[in-house]
Amino acid sequence: MTVFARFHVVPALFLTLGLASAALADEHRVTGDGPGAFVVEDGKVDPDTYEGYLVYTRACMACHGPDGMGSSFAPNLIRAAERRGWENFAGTIASGREVQPGQVMPSFADDPYVMGNIPNLFSYMRARGEGGLGRGRPQIIESMQEQGEENGDDKAAEEANAKE
Amino acid sequence: MLRETGYAVTAVSLLAVSVAHANQNQLELQQNPEYWATQLGNYQGNRFSELDQINRDNVNELRSVWQFSTGVLRGHEGGPLYVGDGRLYIHTPFPNKVFALDLEDEGRVVWSYEPDQDSRVIPVMCCDTVNRGLAYADGRLFLGQADNTLIALDAESGELLWDVSNGDHTVGETNTMSPLVVHDMVIVGISGGEYGIRGHMTAYNVETGEMVWRGYSTGPDDEVLIDPESTLMLGEPIGEADLGVSTWPEDEWERGGGAPWGWVTYDPDLDLIYYGTGNPGTWNPDQRAVDGEPADNKWAITVFARDPNDGSVKWVYQKVPFDEWDYDGVNENQLIDVEFEGEERKGLAIIDRTGFGFLLDRETGELLVAEKFAPETNWADSYDMETGRPNVNEDYSTFRQGVNVNTTDICPTAMGAKNMQPSAYSPRTGLIYAGINRICMNYEPYETEYVAGQPYVGATLTMMPSPTENGQMEGRMGSFIAWDPVAGETVWEVDERFAVWSGALATAGDLAFYGTLEGHVKAVDIENGEELWRFKTPSGIIGNVNTFMHEGKQYVAVLSGVGGWAGIGLAAGLEDPEEGLGAVGVFSALGDYTKLGGVLTVFALPD
Repeated sequence: MTVFARFHVVPALFLTLGLASAALADEHRVTGDGPGAFVVEDGKVDPDTYEGYLVYTRACMACHGPDGMGSSFAPNLIRAAERRGWENFAGTIASGREVQPGQVMPSFADDPYVMGNIPNLFSYMRARGEGGLGRGRPQIIESMQEQGEENGDDKAAEEANAKE
Repeated sequence: MLRETGYAVTAVSLLAVSVAHANQNQLELQQNPEYWATQLGNYQGNRFSELDQINRDNVNELRSVWQFSTGVLRGHEGGPLYVGDGRLYIHTPFPNKVFALDLEDEGRVVWSYEPDQDSRVIPVMCCDTVNRGLAYADGRLFLGQADNTLIALDAESGELLWDVSNGDHTVGETNTMSPLVVHDMVIVGISGGEYGIRGHMTAYNVETGEMVWRGYSTGPDDEVLIDPESTLMLGEPIGEADLGVSTWPEDEWERGGGAPWGWVTYDPDLDLIYYGTGNPGTWNPDQRAVDGEPADNKWAITVFARDPNDGSVKWVYQKVPFDEWDYDGVNENQLIDVEFEGEERKGLAIIDRTGFGFLLDRETGELLVAEKFAPETNWADSYDMETGRPNVNEDYSTFRQGVNVNTTDICPTAMGAKNMQPSAYSPRTGLIYAGINRICMNYEPYETEYVAGQPYVGATLTMMPSPTENGQMEGRMGSFIAWDPVAGETVWEVDERFAVWSGALATAGDLAFYGTLEGHVKAVDIENGEELWRFKTPSGIIGNVNTFMHEGKQYVAVLSGVGGWAGIGLAAGLEDPEEGLGAVGVFSALGDYTKLGGVLTVFALPD
């Protein structure tokens, strides 16, 4: 469980000075380092993890169900990410898997949008698991919003380059 | 795309003989109450059987006579056909196997057929790899494969007679629907509304597979096959040309969806086919607005009445102009003759995605009734009967609430208050029987970009059970209802733990049948919904309960095998709206009740 060893809970007291103490009790920040790093703070996430959520809803949800929780035919990806680790998670998305006829995990090797976002997908799955992130669309942590916009600009530029 | 040119010659020489023959054959078969020759039981889509050997008094003795595993996992929609030759013809989800089973020999496999399909089609099917079944006429079986190949098989041998491509899965076009044979044509639509495709309905010659006509759901009139001078809307000519272009922002109609993937019904007297079109492309309404205001996005979520001979459109009725909730309008159009305000009317009734039960005049397309069958429905308060438009509640308008705003507690969910599960209609009671969904949603649109072959959705949604009212519906997500289509009211209702995703059956034995997602087949008293019999099949039921008679014995048969959108959305359970924020509590999870596996179960009374 090296993954678990690498994340830690940081009391978010220093971020919330001036708020009522009743509110403080519920607030906390969970971070995970290494591949699929994430920050979860009061149910909000860092921009990369948020991007991972969006990619999940676009590319994964139609089979793996809402919020990574699995469907009648496709596994729960929160558990899969936890058990299989980064290499296997990324490898499966890139190569696909034929489980049996009619049950196929497609390869996303030809899909630059998904391939470029595998780390973010892994962040989202870890945030859902270790990070205790709830269901539904998360919000971005306000103090990290600017970073998100910068990232967004970078990505738009990358996409534009890829198309040329 | 004929396999052999030699066959083409034969087909042409046969053509003259069989022009009016196929239609006659299917009509004759469906008029014989002993057969179940088309997926909805008859052209009118009534799913009603005159058989009464199994009835209210003896149904408690009904038992399984044999079961057959299809060997395929994932969602089994549709049902078996019986055309009097002692066999049942069934199909499976991808890889779309077809089996001819010997009814007299406990389902021995007479022949089987398995197409060779590109497995890349699987991930571009939005809502499981389902297929709603075979069509039959004149010794031929027709199947729409997942990869859009329409095939004709010799029912005697299982030999492939012809195949033709109806679409391209690499751009997100797929097929899930059951074709319908009308005259000498086999008519089929397409799926892919979540991939920015442009929907169409197409007719192919039953003998050769050659295309006869294609009518698109969006775009210029000459491609939709509309004549604005003669095609009616609410009983009057449309008047304005090319609304399928002008009611969209620039070029958006080209990826405007309107996929007609549901059931097609047919009135042989009026010689008109009826079907509904799906959602208008992206789920983000902002990208479909014109000058910042709602635009109709015609002809998505529209009932089409077409002449089956050339595809020309007799009338249209758009149920939801400018969709903001994915209320995909494909639900079946039940053709029923009714007395409305003292007059005999040729009616068309819909238990719709929107939560409204509609009644239209099927000759002219006039709107007669629009009332809620799912009382929690809140996206619209009512319909304006003059304009035929919904009175949308701004609180639940995802467009008015805005992009990147989470509009909460909208009822029903995008799955609809009823999805593809076909209803039944009994001419004896005048009521429609339907499995429905009692699920609501939060919906947040976001900007999305079209990339061919990639999802073009642009909204995230969260689902939850509909709110409990006076202690009713507690812990429940579905109902089986009896609906009066003329009065526009529910006569009785049976509540179920999960959405009722199976097709209904009504019989002259005073029974209504349906299946549950846990896997029960149930028979209820058609008068009051009282449960009279149940049987637990091995997996959840999203198929349709069919009945037929062979050698003097009435059978009931159903495919079980959980899946479909229900199997994706409900497997892990829904968030309980009663729980506090961030609570881990999850509403009933379908995965706790049933697992995958396709099985046909055949029932009869003891000898």
